[in-house]
Amino acid sequence: MTNTFDREFEDILEKNKLKIFRICKIYAVNPIEPQDLFQEVILQIWISLGKYQGKSTIDTWVYKIALNVCMRSKMKLNRSNEQTGRFESIHFLAAENQIDHSDDLKFKYLQECIKTLNSVDASLMVLHLDDLPYKKIAVITGLTENHIAVKMKRIRKTLMECIQPKLI
Amino acid sequence: MHSAKINMREEDLKNIWNNSTQVPEISIDVHSLIDEMNIKISSLQKKIRLRDIREIAASIIGIIIYSYLLYEVPFPLTKLASILSILWFITVILLFTKSRLDNAENGLLLSVQEQLVQQKNLMCKQVKLINLAAYWYSIPSFIINLIFIVGLESPSDYSWTNKIANSVLPLSMNMKAVTLIGLVFFYAFIIWINKRALSRDLKPILAKIVLIQTSIKE
Repeated sequence: MTNTFDREFEDILEKNKLKIFRICKIYAVNPIEPQDLFQEVILQIWISLGKYQGKSTIDTWVYKIALNVCMRSKMKLNRSNEQTGRFESIHFLAAENQIDHSDDLKFKYLQECIKTLNSVDASLMVLHLDDLPYKKIAVITGLTENHIAVKMKRIRKTLMECIQPKLI
Repeated sequence: MHSAKINMREEDLKNIWNNSTQVPEISIDVHSLIDEMNIKISSLQKKIRLRDIREIAASIIGIIIYSYLLYEVPFPLTKLASILSILWFITVILLFTKSRLDNAENGLLLSVQEQLVQQKNLMCKQVKLINLAAYWYSIPSFIINLIFIVGLESPSDYSWTNKIANSVLPLSMNMKAVTLIGLVFFYAFIIWINKRALSRDLKPILAKIVLIQTSIKE
């Protein structure tokens, strides 16, 4: 039983760790680093896994936890992830190609522009970039699909206006 | 044509987002991680239990002290103040317990919008609790202490023999006035601390939540 539970957790981590980390990079605000937020999200997934009832897909469930943890941290609602040691079993290996790579520079600009959006707009953009359909985004955010469509139109415009001058 | 151009740009953004090497490789030793997380959870639970014990222990010590004073001190007003103090400490314990139960649900499995509503309600409750602490904890407690001090008479009038009481009592009017002024400053300080916590910590967070909720509706 425990092994199945552990395996399920391992599976969730393997499939979602990069998505989670990208979200953490958007919401981490000094002095909290993305690695701290990532650790907190993973801990909350572990704590909540027993409550997963299969009503939504596992990735929808993971997004909910990741966004809620990150948004709380940004609003300084979460004090549990401050000034605590990092888990030694998680290793972040720096990418080989650093900032001089043009794609990485673009990613940096994209991050900067998403960070200028308010928390909810940023979450909509992140979910959209992860290629989630509006139906799933609606379940995660609690907004209606129509509302998301209207907001996305404006967010997309804001994001393009921010990133295009940087790419020239 | 225009639409295709926009779609193209969006696809570019998605590619940048999903394929950047700026996201590090993350290697996780899951079995060790589970052990580490279980240790952290136990340590957090222990901290919470200790905090709860600390919060309630102060009130329990208060109940024990005032129960002893109720039994020992013969002055009627002081006895009344002791009974009121015991009732006040019981109320504090009940309020702490209720507040703890309200905070127990973490709401991380709710949608973002529902979670904001839950966090806002929680913050409003905490603001209410601190306001309550500032006035409705401090003022009754001050009044009870005032009755207690005013009620202190001369032990010899009641044929009460107690080493400490005989050395301290009866208090002169001046001494009672000085003690009461000290109490006024003490409770004013408590109210000020609570008000400061409210305006420095809770109100800005509440304002942020309201701002996000407003931005959702736009």
